[in-house]
Order: sequence, then C-alpha cells, then structure tokens
Amino acid sequence: MNLINLLRHISLKHVRLQKAQLLIAVVGIGLGVAAMVAIDIVNVSVLRSFAESIDQITGRAALEISGAESGFPEALLERVQEVPGVEYAVPVIETNANLADGSKRAVMILGVDVLQDHQIRNYSLTDEAADIPDPLLFLAKKDSILLSKAMAKQEKIAIDQEIRLQTVEGIKTFKVRGLLNPEGPARVAGGDIAIMDVYAAQLAFGKEGRIDRIDVSFLPGGKLDTMKARIQQVLPSGYTVDTPAGRTRQVEILLERFQKNMAFTSTMVMFVGMYLIYNIISISVVQRRKEIGILRAIGARRSEIITLFFAETCVVAALGSLLGIGLGLAFAKLTVGFVAQYITDVYLQTSVTSLTFSSGMFFRDAALGILASLLAAASPVLSSVRFTPLAAIRAQSSGGDGFILSRNIKLASALLLALSLGLFAAYRAAGPGSDFRSSTVTVASAIFLIVGISLLTPAILQGTMLLFHRFLSPWLGVAGRLAGINLQKNIGRNGVAVGAIFFSISLYVCSASAMHSLNVSMFDWIDSIIRADLLISSGSPLAAGGAHSIPMPESLAGELEKIPGVRMVEPFRKGYLTYENKKILLEIFDVALRMEYCPGMFAEGNREEVIRQVPGQDTIFINEGFATQYNLHPGDSVVLPTPGGPVRFGVAAIAVSYSSDAGVVWMDVHTYRRHWQDTLVDTYEVLVKEKSEIPRVRQAILDRLGQERHLFVLPALEFRNEIKKLLANTSVLFQAVNILVLLIAGFGIVITLLASVLERTREIGVLRAIGMKKNQVAGVVILESALIGTLGGLLGSATGLLLGWIAVEGFFRLDYGASIVYHVDFSAIAWAILLSTGLAALAGFYPARRAAGINIVEALTYE
Amino acid sequence: MNRLMRAGLYLLLVMTLLPLTCASAMTGREVYEKVHELRQRALDRRVEGTLVLFDKGGTTRSRSLIEYSKKADPEAYKVLVVFQTPPDLKDVGFLVHARTFSDRDLWAYFPEFKRIRRIPTTSQDDAFFGTDFSYDDFGGPPNLDDYSFSIQGEEVVDGKPCYVVEVTPKVHRKYTRFVAWVAKDLWVHLKIAYYRDKELYRSGRFMEVRMVDDIATAHKVRMENNATGHATELTVDAIQYHTRFPDDLFSQRSLERAGK
Repeated sequence: MNLINLLRHISLKHVRLQKAQLLIAVVGIGLGVAAMVAIDIVNVSVLRSFAESIDQITGRAALEISGAESGFPEALLERVQEVPGVEYAVPVIETNANLADGSKRAVMILGVDVLQDHQIRNYSLTDEAADIPDPLLFLAKKDSILLSKAMAKQEKIAIDQEIRLQTVEGIKTFKVRGLLNPEGPARVAGGDIAIMDVYAAQLAFGKEGRIDRIDVSFLPGGKLDTMKARIQQVLPSGYTVDTPAGRTRQVEILLERFQKNMAFTSTMVMFVGMYLIYNIISISVVQRRKEIGILRAIGARRSEIITLFFAETCVVAALGSLLGIGLGLAFAKLTVGFVAQYITDVYLQTSVTSLTFSSGMFFRDAALGILASLLAAASPVLSSVRFTPLAAIRAQSSGGDGFILSRNIKLASALLLALSLGLFAAYRAAGPGSDFRSSTVTVASAIFLIVGISLLTPAILQGTMLLFHRFLSPWLGVAGRLAGINLQKNIGRNGVAVGAIFFSISLYVCSASAMHSLNVSMFDWIDSIIRADLLISSGSPLAAGGAHSIPMPESLAGELEKIPGVRMVEPFRKGYLTYENKKILLEIFDVALRMEYCPGMFAEGNREEVIRQVPGQDTIFINEGFATQYNLHPGDSVVLPTPGGPVRFGVAAIAVSYSSDAGVVWMDVHTYRRHWQDTLVDTYEVLVKEKSEIPRVRQAILDRLGQERHLFVLPALEFRNEIKKLLANTSVLFQAVNILVLLIAGFGIVITLLASVLERTREIGVLRAIGMKKNQVAGVVILESALIGTLGGLLGSATGLLLGWIAVEGFFRLDYGASIVYHVDFSAIAWAILLSTGLAALAGFYPARRAAGINIVEALTYE
Repeated sequence: MNRLMRAGLYLLLVMTLLPLTCASAMTGREVYEKVHELRQRALDRRVEGTLVLFDKGGTTRSRSLIEYSKKADPEAYKVLVVFQTPPDLKDVGFLVHARTFSDRDLWAYFPEFKRIRRIPTTSQDDAFFGTDFSYDDFGGPPNLDDYSFSIQGEEVVDGKPCYVVEVTPKVHRKYTRFVAWVAKDLWVHLKIAYYRDKELYRSGRFMEVRMVDDIATAHKVRMENNATGHATELTVDAIQYHTRFPDDLFSQRSLERAGK
C-alpha cells in the first residue's frame, strides 16, 4: 500500500473523527508561522521601502556628507566642491511639514539646489519629467513649491494654487508652481513629498545658512575609498561621509530590536504549536495503537508506519503554515505602519506602500512550520513502533511512562535547571558592560529553565498525585479518588497537558510581571520628568503616526512669558547624534530651570552634581544604556560630534531614561545653542502661577498664538495620563497574546481529556453499569481537568516569576538600556491560577459530557 | 601657337575659377573662425529684448530683459542680463565672467533671496531660467579648439545661401553634436539643430537678420525643444554696439543692484 493510499484509507478516517483536534493543531502551527511571516514581511518591506527611498532621494550620489541633526554650515559645500575628483556636490535639506488644511497630512520637504540638483537626482525639474510651467518664477520666488502629482490629486490641489503649511515660522503660504511625476524623489514617502529650492527651504524652515546634507558624485574614474578619504580631509571631524547604503545599514541596526522581539514572540508561539503537535500525535498514537498493530501484523514495515505519521504531520503542518502565511500577512499589515513610523521619526519619512513577500520567503516560512511540527512529532511517532504488533493489538502498555519518569530524564532536568540558574547568577555577577551581559545568556537561561521544568512535569505530576491521594482525595470522595487514579494511569500524556498549561501560564506570568515592572518604572520616570503644567508643541505630542512636530522659534518663549498667569517657560529640543554609527538621542533643556521642578531619576551621580556641572558648560549627563555601552561613569568624558567639530564633554551623572535603547544624552540648552547654533524649540514646557489657572492660561495661549500656527497646548497631567494609557494599551496587547496562548493550551487539555475518555470508554461503561451516575462520571473528568490546570498554573506561575525577573534584568535592561525594578504582579498570578484551573475545568466539559453520555452496553463491548 | 593658346586659355580658366574653388573649399573650422570673429566684434553691446515662452498647450508667458556685454582681453569678456518684467521677476540677474573662451564663471541673482548663486559650468547647456535657450546661448563666443568642424554642404535658408557645418564637441556636453546653417558673408547662424546621438532635441531659427553698426544681427530667434514641444522666442527690441561699459557694471555688486 503506498503512502497516498495509507493517508486516504487510514488517516482520513481519523481526520473525520478528530476535526476539532486537527483544527487546533492547524491554528497552533498557523500562529507560530504567522509571527515568523509577519517578522519577515515587515522587516523586508520596511528595509526595501527605506532603501528605495534612499535610492530615489540620493539619486546618482556616491557619497553623502552629514553632520549634526540640526544641520551644518553651508560654507562646507564649497570645500567639498573643490575636492579633486568631485563632479557635483549639492546641498540638501530634508525636513517635515504638515498641511495646515485638507487632510493635514505630514509632508516630507526636500530642499534642493534647483539649478544643479538634476545632475544628481533622477528627476529633472526642467524637462518633460516635471510639469513646471515657469521654472524661473519657481526659482525667483521663495514661496515656490512643487508637489507630487499623487498628493496634489488626493488633496485636490492645482498648479498656481496656494497651500498652507505648518512650518517653523508658523503657518506659511506657498504657491504650487508645478507637479512632479512619480519618478525619483517624487516617489518617496508614498508621494507625500514636496520639493523646494534649498534656499527657500532654509528660510521657511528656520535653517538659514545651514544644510542637512551634501550629496556628492564623482568624476569618471573616482574611487570610493580615495574620494571618501579626500573629502573627509577637508571636513572638520565629526562629520559622517558614507555611501547612501550606509543609512540603510543603520536602519537594519535599528530594526534589530524589533526583529529580536518578534522572533522571541514567534519562537514562543511556535513552541506552543509544537506542544500541540506533540500532544495530538501522542494521543493519536495511543488511540490508534491497535490499528498500528494490525497494520504491522499484515506486513506493514516500521518505516511505513513512521512515514505515515510523519506524512499526517506534514499535511497538518502544511495547512497550519498556509493559515499562518495568511495570518502573517494580516499581522504584517497591522504592524508595518508602526515600524515605518519609528524609522520616520529617527531617519527619513518612510512609507511602506506595498508589502514584500517573495516565493522564497513563502517556502522558507512554510518549511520552518513543517520542520518544527515534524520535530515535535518525532518522539511520539518513533514511540508508535516501539511495541510489538501483538502487544499493540492487545493494547498493552508501551511502558512509555517509564522512560519519561526515568532517572536520566530527572538528571537532565536537574542539569538544565542548574545551568539556567548558574547562567543567570553569572549574568548578575558580571559587571555592566561585560560581554557576558548579553541577551544570548539570558535567553539561554530562560530556555534551560523552561525545558528543565518541562522535562520534570511528569515527575512533578506523579509526586503531586501522591500528595493528592494522601491529603486531598479523601475529602473529594469517589470522584476525587478516581480522578487521581486516572491521572496517575497515564503520567506521560497527562504530564504533556500539565506541561502545555505550565508553558502558557509561565509566559503569561513572565510577560505580565515584566510589563507590570516596566509600567511601574516608566510611570515613576514619567512622573519624575514631566512636572510642568502645560506642554506646547506644533504637532500633537501624542501622535503616533500622524502630524509631525514642527519646531518653533526661540522667540515664542518671550511671547509665552507675557501671558498672564505664566510663571516659567522652558524650552525642550530633541535631536539625534551619530556616535559610533548609532543614532543617540540628544535631549536639550534648560537644566538649571528643569532641576528646580523635576527631581529626575539617577542611577549614578545625583541632581546636585547635575545642577553644579551642567548648566552652560561642556558637561552632559547620560542614560544607563549609553553609559553601559561605552563604559562611562560620572567624572569621565566623551567626545561628541557638533557642527563645529568634535567637542569633549564631561559626564556629570548617569540618569534613568526609557526614551531610546541606543542611548540618551542630556545637554543644557545654552551649551547646545553655543555649539549647534540652533535656537529652535520642539516643545515649550510651561509652569503656571496657580494650578487652578491652568485651563485659563491654556486658552489664553491658544487665543494669543493659535492663529499664527497650529499649536497643541496639552495640560501635562492629561499628557501623563495619555502616556500611561498608551502603555496600558500596549500591555493589554501583550496580555491578549498570552490569553490566546492560554486558550490554545486549553484546547490542548480538551484533546488530552478526550483521548483519556476514549481510552477509558470500557472502564466508564463498567462504572456506569455498577451504578455510577452520569454527573459523577462527568465530575471525575472535570476534576481531572481542573487538577491538570491547577498544577500547570502553579508550576507556570512559579516559573513565570523567575522568567519575568530574567526578562526584566536581561531583556529590558539590555534593550531599553535602563534599570527596571522588578515588581511581582500578584494579580496576574491570581488570574493565572484562576484562568488555568477555570479554563482547564471548562475544557473538561466536552469530554465530560461525552463520558457521561456513553451508552453502557456499547461501552462494555468497546475494545 | 595652338598649343600656346590652349595653355593660355587653360591658365585663364584656372585663374578665373580659382577663387570659386577656394570659396567652396572652405573648411568648417574656417567658417566658424568667421562666425567667431563676428561674435567677438558683437561683444560690446546693450540689448533690450523680449522673451516669449510658448508651452505645448499654447499658453504664452512674456518677460523683458536687458543684456549688457563687454569685451576685455583677447579672450576675456563679461555679460550681464537683468530681467525687467514681469514684476515677479524684476531684477533677477545673470552674470558671466569669462577669463578665456573656455573658462568662465556664471552667477544668478534672485532679489527675493538676496543671494547670488553660482551656476556650475557643467550646467552651461541647461535651460536658461526655464526658457529653451541655454546659459551658453547667453555667453560669448566659444573656444574653437574645443570642437571639431566638418562642412556638410551648402543650402539656402530664408533666401540666403548658407554653409552647413556639423560641429562636434571634444569635451562632454549635453549634446553630442549640432548642425549649423551659417549665412555666407554675414557669418551668422540662420538655423541650428542640436542632437543627442541621433535624436534632435533642440532646434533654433535666427530671423530678421539686419546690419547694425556693420554687424549682422538676428532680431528674432526662436528656439524649440523638440522633446517637449515647448518654444521660446527672443525678440531684439533695441540694440546698440560698441558700448564700452565700465567694469563696475559687471561686478557682483552690480548684479545685486540690477545693473544700476
């Protein structure tokens, strides 16, 4: 009989009988594959879109010169233009604005030297590629702007029409002098792009005399390394000369954390899926032992039986993988926007217009799903042929429990647990900055812990049952005793169910505890840094993917101070520094003022040192992540790039911040303005004289200044609450995933119990025949289920607590670069035990009903 | 005798036809040396002109300008162009300083920005402020050594006999060659066609050629972009040669003050 026939005549019969089990297995595998697919798609799509944007925006440029985030003096342009071998060196301003009317969409503004930029970029402003009725007028007027045809169509804007944009100087009116075909830069940001002459952009966006980038092309024969060295020679140090692909590389680094998080989730979900497959195949093997025996007796070889089970697994896994790919596409669609927004915030407006999913990715992800399933099925499949055909037909025990309860397994488990704890202890003992403090160590510690306890679950179940018989079953009567005996009968299979519950509960408790710790720490941190009464910005400070915050001029501070009721106005500016190829967040404020009303949270050094050393001086304070990466402590110094060249800054203190995992540097506004010559402000933080006056002052600010520019004046309390709400929402999402995992584990229990009921059909018939009532039979099954759930819940909660600690110490500390105090989430543990017991009891209902509904005569004849 | 007469007649014939043979045997380079000489003579001048831009839809935009130029050393010259109308473009200027025929600096000035901007010499073949002329068209004579010339024949354009000369740049330009119809004796272009490889992308007609101060001058020039259908017509409203403007007129300061 060939494989297809075996599948058709034998496996298909089981499919009809086990629809629910198969569906659950398919969903389990599907979720695991979906997470992998989503990672792949988001990652590839964002990177492709970013790389395309870079290509379109840099055109023929072989090198890009960038300096400080706030721009650098345009005088450098001439120096670069004079470097031998340079063909063109053109200035670029890259900034953002918001449409003041219509959809109020965010628009990327590309300021280029219209007179020569077409030599570098793949569009032409003067030929048929662009429809500019009057190029001279475009050049001569500082209100000239070109829009992409796509955006103009969506916003119903025509040539010669005026549009209003929110800029640094407030709302400004521009005249659309032409529309760009979707070629070259006009394709960037999904077409939400406007092109201006670089000098007009300087005026409109407060960058007079400064540019953001110089794009350079070489004369024929120019060698990249030679040219790079020559250009670097004429520039002050602190400037980056890199190929356009260099920016894509930086984004790849930036996406690493996202990839790591998603890969972690994917592995977890896939692990649960594998548990399910293991469970289903194990049960299938038990249920079909007699059939296997008959097949073997009529001549089927062991390899054919193994192949049959693997083929079944393959079919289930393939279906799961297909479902996973579909789900993955949907997940990717949901998440890609968030990732693109993150890239937009840090680098360049990136809009993913289409998702990339190649056939290679399809086959790889499907193959991974199938491979994981085959791996999970391997042990039960191999066990299916361990017994002789005769033993199988007589339904004699395979003795599998002996193996899983063997000394070797216990030893392996103890070894893994010791390894896990040892690794974590060594991790804790290693100092910050040590190579041993890596996520590999913490992940390994977590995996050893999970696998160690998983291997031990049958032994724990056995031990628990002994205790149950001794202490609890007398209180629970016949049902309790029977339930205990039943669970003991097949420790292996029931151990798997306990393991499944343990696994999901441990993930749930781990995630809940870690999120709880993160929330408490972040809330404390937010309360310590946001102490002002009103926050003023030109874009909503809470916008996740909407309008950009356009900086405001310094002069606004004076106007704000004049408003009655305002006690103090403090500027806040945010930017990025490129330090050792990483984008370090630079936050600027008036340190002396800020320290008057904000306590801050310090890991090393203190507030007094900051007040003494930082205001107006070349001294900064940094966050733990930055300090750890570069082994910095108070009293050390660090050389940072500034527009005027590298400057050595002293380190006054190490503070806590969750703003950036790459590192955060805080600088006094006076020091920043001295080195950066940048007086713009992103947010004004306002303290009012009387707290009761906050609404009145808010309205007064809007009345006085809201006409000139779109202003968001948000009471700080509201902002803090919104941030907390956002964080809470994030944890809800995490918990939703955990509950889903828990539900899948619940399905696992249903399968286990169903198999148990089927196996005991005759026994249940006997019990019913000697007078046991239907509800008593059902009670036994539900009790078994609840016992499995409770044990899994308790084990999972205990392990989850440890995992949460490992996650906070290793994962969050490493990834966020910030201390998080571990807070046990007792309510989550209570929920976990309640959920695991409750869900398990619920999961037992169906098999219980089935057991109770058994026909006594049929059951007694059941073999 | 007969032999002697025959030799004499032959000599007479040769002597009579010799000038004709010489004239038609003029090389492309020789034709362009004449053109070059005329353009050099035409350098000291003041031109008031009107530019009319025609787009493919038939819409026209008009602007007026004044061009000043001055010849200095054997090869050096300066040109200043200042737009007069429309009001949006008033005082927008363009300045050329040529140290030699092949080495020059170009600047533009936009009053609204109060900024002088250098135009890279590599942009000399680009559109002159969005017209169908190039910056080069508003410069002085070129360096003849940067080109190779080949005479293609003779044709009559607008009733005037012309040499047809193919001119190929030896250095990288936006065009690969151009063919010019140069009026015999007047040494001005009557027609010009620019090619990128085999594709004709820009062509011009020089009309209403009249002698001004003994210099043949086209009073109307129409340049067309064959790819876009866009065209620009330059009409000379007034012209004055041998002006001898002071150097100050061609300074960057003067550019900022619109030649005032």
